[in-house]
Amino acid sequence: MMHPAMSITAVAILITMSLAMIRAMLGPTVFDRVLALNMFGTKTVLLICLVCFMMDRTDFLDLALLYSLINFIGMVALLRFSQYGGFDAIDASSDEGSTTGGTS
Amino acid sequence: MEIIVIPILALLAVTAVTIARIRNLWAAVMFTGIYSFLSASWMLILDAPDVAFTEAAVGAGIATILMLATLSLVPKNKHKGGGIQNSDFETKRLRGRSVVGSLIVALGTGAMLVYGTLDMPHFGDSHAPIQEYPRPSFVERSQGDMHGLPNVVTAVLASYRGYDTLGETAVIFTAGIAVLLILRRNTDDNDRDANLETTSSNGGGSKPIAVATTSKNSEEAAS
Amino acid sequence: MIVVEVLAWICLVAGSFFSIVGGFGIVRMPEFFSRMHAGGITDTLGAGLVVLGLLFHSDGVLPAIKLLMILFFLLVTSPTACHALAKSALSQGMRPELENDAVKSKATGS
Repeated sequence: MMHPAMSITAVAILITMSLAMIRAMLGPTVFDRVLALNMFGTKTVLLICLVCFMMDRTDFLDLALLYSLINFIGMVALLRFSQYGGFDAIDASSDEGSTTGGTS
Repeated sequence: MEIIVIPILALLAVTAVTIARIRNLWAAVMFTGIYSFLSASWMLILDAPDVAFTEAAVGAGIATILMLATLSLVPKNKHKGGGIQNSDFETKRLRGRSVVGSLIVALGTGAMLVYGTLDMPHFGDSHAPIQEYPRPSFVERSQGDMHGLPNVVTAVLASYRGYDTLGETAVIFTAGIAVLLILRRNTDDNDRDANLETTSSNGGGSKPIAVATTSKNSEEAAS
Repeated sequence: MIVVEVLAWICLVAGSFFSIVGGFGIVRMPEFFSRMHAGGITDTLGAGLVVLGLLFHSDGVLPAIKLLMILFFLLVTSPTACHALAKSALSQGMRPELENDAVKSKATGS
C-alpha cells in the first residue's frame, strides 16, 4: 500500500529537481545558481532515501547521510570562494582579500 | 522503478548539454556538481553503493572545490565591476573547421560503441565470462594459498590481481601530487613575487597570494 | 497499524506538495531574495516532512535511527546554508528590490 505514495513523492521530487535546474540555467547572478544547487542537493538526499525504501535495502541510507553533509560543505566552500576569491584569505587575517566573484 | 530511471537519465543528458553550452565558468563548475549528484543516484539505482559513495565524496565534494580553487587562481580583469569576463576564456575556432565534422565523428564513435555493447551479456547474467572464469578457482584456492586468510576480496586485490592494485596506487599518487600543485602557496618565491608585483602589469591573481604570504612571513619574523 | 500508514501517506504527500511549491517559487519569483525566501523555507519543510513519512514506514531500529540522523542534519544545515548565502550576497552588494523604491520612483516621476 505504500508504493503509490512513494511513487507520487518520487515524481514530485524529480519535478522539483527539474525546476531547480531551470533556475540554475537561467539565473542571472551566481547566487541564483548556488541556491538552485543547494535545493538540488537536498532533493537528491530525499530521492536517495526514497529509492532505498523502494528497493527494500535500507543499508543504503548512509549514502543519504553522506550527501547531506557534502552538500553543506560544498555550498559553504563555494560561497567562501565567491566572496574571497581563494583559499588565502582564510589565513591572512589582516587582508580582506579580493572581493570579486563570478557575478555575471 | 522505471518512473525514476528515465527522468534521472533525461536530467543527466540535459546537464551534459548545459555544461557544454554555458559560457560562464563558475556556472559550469556548479553544473558538474549537479552531474555528480545525479550520477551517484543513478549508481545507487544500479545497486552499486560503494561506487556511489566514491562518486559522492569525490565528484560532488572534492572535484567541485578543486575546480573552484583552480578558477580562483586565474587573474581577474578588473573592468566593468570585476569578475571573470567571458572574453577571457573564449577559444577561437580554427579557421576552416566546421562544427558538423566534429559532430559526425563524435556520433560515429558513439554509434560504434553502442554497437559493441549489443554483444555483451545481460546485466547480472550468471553465465557471463566474468562470473565463470576466475571466481571458483579463486574462492577454492585462496584459503590454502594465503595461509589461512579468510577474506577472498583482499586476496584477489592484493595477490591474484596485484598489478591492478599497483596501477591504481600509481594513479592515486599522481592525482595527489596534482592536487598539491594546485593548492600550494609560493612560499619559496615570495621575494620574487614581491619584486614582480611592482614591475609586472599582470592580473590580480597572484597578488593576494603574494600579499598574504608576505604579511604572514613578516608576522612570523616579528614574533 | 492503519493509523501509522495514514500518517505516513499524509506526511509524504504534504512533503511532496511543499517541494513542488518551492520549486515553482524558485522559478517564478522576480528577484533573488524572494527566490531564496521561497526556496529555503519550502526546502527544509518539504524535506523534513518526507523524511518523517519514511520514518513512519520504516521497520527496524537501525533505519529509524539513520533517518533521524538525516532529519537532524537536514534541519541544521539547510537553514544555515541559506543564511550563509544571504549573508554572502549582502556583503557583495546585492540588495533586495523593495516595493517602496518602486512606488517612490513612480511618485517622483524619475
